[in-house]
Amino acid sequence: MRIQVFAILKDFFKKEFELNAKLYTIADLRTHLSLLNPNATPVLNRCRFAVQDEFVTDEYTLTGNEHIVIIPPSSGG
Amino acid sequence: MDFITKKEIDLVALLQKSHCPSAGAIVLFSGEVRNHNVGKSVRYLEYEAHASLAAKMIAEILLAARNRWSLSIAHAQHRIGKVKVTESAVVVITASVHRGEAYASNRYIIDRIKHEVPIWKCEHFADGSKEWGGNCNCDKETGDVNKHIYEFESV
Repeated sequence: MRIQVFAILKDFFKKEFELNAKLYTIADLRTHLSLLNPNATPVLNRCRFAVQDEFVTDEYTLTGNEHIVIIPPSSGG
Repeated sequence: MDFITKKEIDLVALLQKSHCPSAGAIVLFSGEVRNHNVGKSVRYLEYEAHASLAAKMIAEILLAARNRWSLSIAHAQHRIGKVKVTESAVVVITASVHRGEAYASNRYIIDRIKHEVPIWKCEHFADGSKEWGGNCNCDKETGDVNKHIYEFESV
């Protein structure tokens, strides 16, 4: 699956990267990324996840081919 | 009007296009870059967005505002990239028969944009430091990243 991150998450991960781990849900992905970079955990725990411009919940089932966007808390305006 | 733009927002031009014979009230809100934050001097802000999702969400928010109030006009545009002090980072324009609906809907739209839409600001300070800041932190109170405490609900 392809992962894309924004804003403060770019301090912890590459802006876009491929992940080949066997993960079944968004919750698994969140945990996996926390293990890859524990310093990112407080931010990851507050992020929303989106697949094809739609927000998805922690229970969303991954096929492994998605483009997943990780959205930190907004700070527009 | 593009919802997300890299170009400088021309407030005068936008206002000029917003006159409407049926509207007795037009409210234009401009969120502008100020030269200070958290006691530090700010040089400029840099905005980043998930552009396609942000545009889609702004369109949905504008539609929700139109469904909630009777509006002749409901526009919003957010700038991305480097935005200098005194420049507009976001503009919301609403027009309605009377001012009450124009004010209320304008506040609703800007509140929802600030809390929900995937746009982020990075503050660049005069001392050379930078920081991703001003994040929505409603979840610390609501316990849910999708539940927000809006200003428009408290007025």
